[in-house]
Amino acid sequence: MSLLALREVSKRFGGVNALSGVSFAVEPGEILGIIGPNGAGKTTLLNCISGVARLDAGDISWKEQSIKDVAPYRRAHLGIGRTFQIVRPFPSMTVRENTAMGVLFGRPHSRLQPAAAMKAADEVLELVGLVEKREYPVLRLTVPDRKRLELARALAMRPQLLLLDEVMAGLNHVEVEQALSMVRRIRENGVTIVLIEHVMKVIIGVCSRAIVLNFGRTLAEGPPEEVLKDRRVIEAYLGERYAKDHESPPRPGEGHDGP
Amino acid sequence: MSQFTQQVILGLLLGGIYVAVALGFSLVWGVLNIVNLAHGALIMVGSYITWTLFVNRVIRAPLLFTFLLTFGINLVIVSLLLLLFTADFRSVTTTYSGAGLHLGSVVIPYIRLGGLLVALVLAGILWLILNRTRIGAGILAVGADRDAAQLVGIDLRHLYALTFAIGAAFAGVAGGIISTFQSITPTAGDPYTLQSFAVVILGGLGRVSATIVGGLAFGLIEVLGQSAPGLGSGYANAIAFVVLVLVLIVRPRGLLGRLA
Repeated sequence: MSLLALREVSKRFGGVNALSGVSFAVEPGEILGIIGPNGAGKTTLLNCISGVARLDAGDISWKEQSIKDVAPYRRAHLGIGRTFQIVRPFPSMTVRENTAMGVLFGRPHSRLQPAAAMKAADEVLELVGLVEKREYPVLRLTVPDRKRLELARALAMRPQLLLLDEVMAGLNHVEVEQALSMVRRIRENGVTIVLIEHVMKVIIGVCSRAIVLNFGRTLAEGPPEEVLKDRRVIEAYLGERYAKDHESPPRPGEGHDGP
Repeated sequence: MSQFTQQVILGLLLGGIYVAVALGFSLVWGVLNIVNLAHGALIMVGSYITWTLFVNRVIRAPLLFTFLLTFGINLVIVSLLLLLFTADFRSVTTTYSGAGLHLGSVVIPYIRLGGLLVALVLAGILWLILNRTRIGAGILAVGADRDAAQLVGIDLRHLYALTFAIGAAFAGVAGGIISTFQSITPTAGDPYTLQSFAVVILGGLGRVSATIVGGLAFGLIEVLGQSAPGLGSGYANAIAFVVLVLVLIVRPRGLLGRLA
């Protein structure tokens, strides 16, 4: 049984088709990467799944039940957690308080009070490596730390599916490595992950499958290494010229002749 | 000197009323982004929780629309009160109404002192709700970022209704305080909408302490202003609002404000 399934999902903004007829399924335990050039509809896709944006056509189901008309907060209760590309912590709160919000409201059947939620938040902060900075006001955090916090807040909800919107953007090499191992750790704890990413290393490094979006349509789908070799993908992503340059001549010493 | 002390005390006592009046107003403005023109009417009545379902529809509406709606609610409430209680002046008179605490030549009227104390207790209760309860945590989160709040699992409609209800309930208590020292009529609440607005702007939006500071400061300015040489009570409002404008020039977010 698929955890999440999208069928012919379409979303328009005015005259622009942000998504047209996108279909795919997310299987339990996988890390699915979604890539595509700017404006391909990646964030819109996550917005449709988390419920912030309503579909114009198509259907989304969670464990075979349609959630098309389910309010965002209820989807959060079902087990869909997400982070934002541009981080959105609650600015007036500390790191710990931010995380506690996920504990307080994201776990549907726990009626924890704030004091208990703070303790639970510490466990999550430990996992993402922010526990020493838990009393910081969020505005004092660096960019990588804000991304960690964004992750912590989503994890605090104990999601079954985690939607990550470019959590690695703006991180340096070392930080990307740290983030990668964190993503793997989260998966090992039984959380299915859908991540949007620009950094190819991330897609190849952790994803078991990748989907390429371009102009709101699915361009390719499959194992990351294969998808990234697909000529249509290279064209869409890096430009036609790049595709041509890399097609001929083949690099010396390499036996095969292009994709 | 004792004349001045007396004025300061009266100012602070008046300010206490403004604190009570503005608490609910500030909450609704800060979290729901609604400048509730019906606040004065709510003060006069006290418990209009039923209206919350109605207000939910205008949460994301443009500012002017919320003005129109809350002004409309104001008219409805005032008209209902006129029908129920007629336009006669009424007042609550207690045995200790005229009495006061004498400290040397300074007199502190018991009624007003009680009002100030109730206002501070109210502020304390609101602070506790916001900072120590689940609902309060939700209110703060929604006030900070409503989209992010939804995605950590907060039911926005439910929370908006609750926030408005709390605001209305606080208005009701403030109305109770006012009835002890002022004659009430269905329209007597209207000036308090304006006062609440001024207090919140003066103190700043987004925290309870800002409302306390704003309310006390506004009361002080009004009383001291009208007792200044050459000025009379007719100038009270004018002076208070001039000071308000001056403060805003220096501190656009109010004395203690933290939300833009």
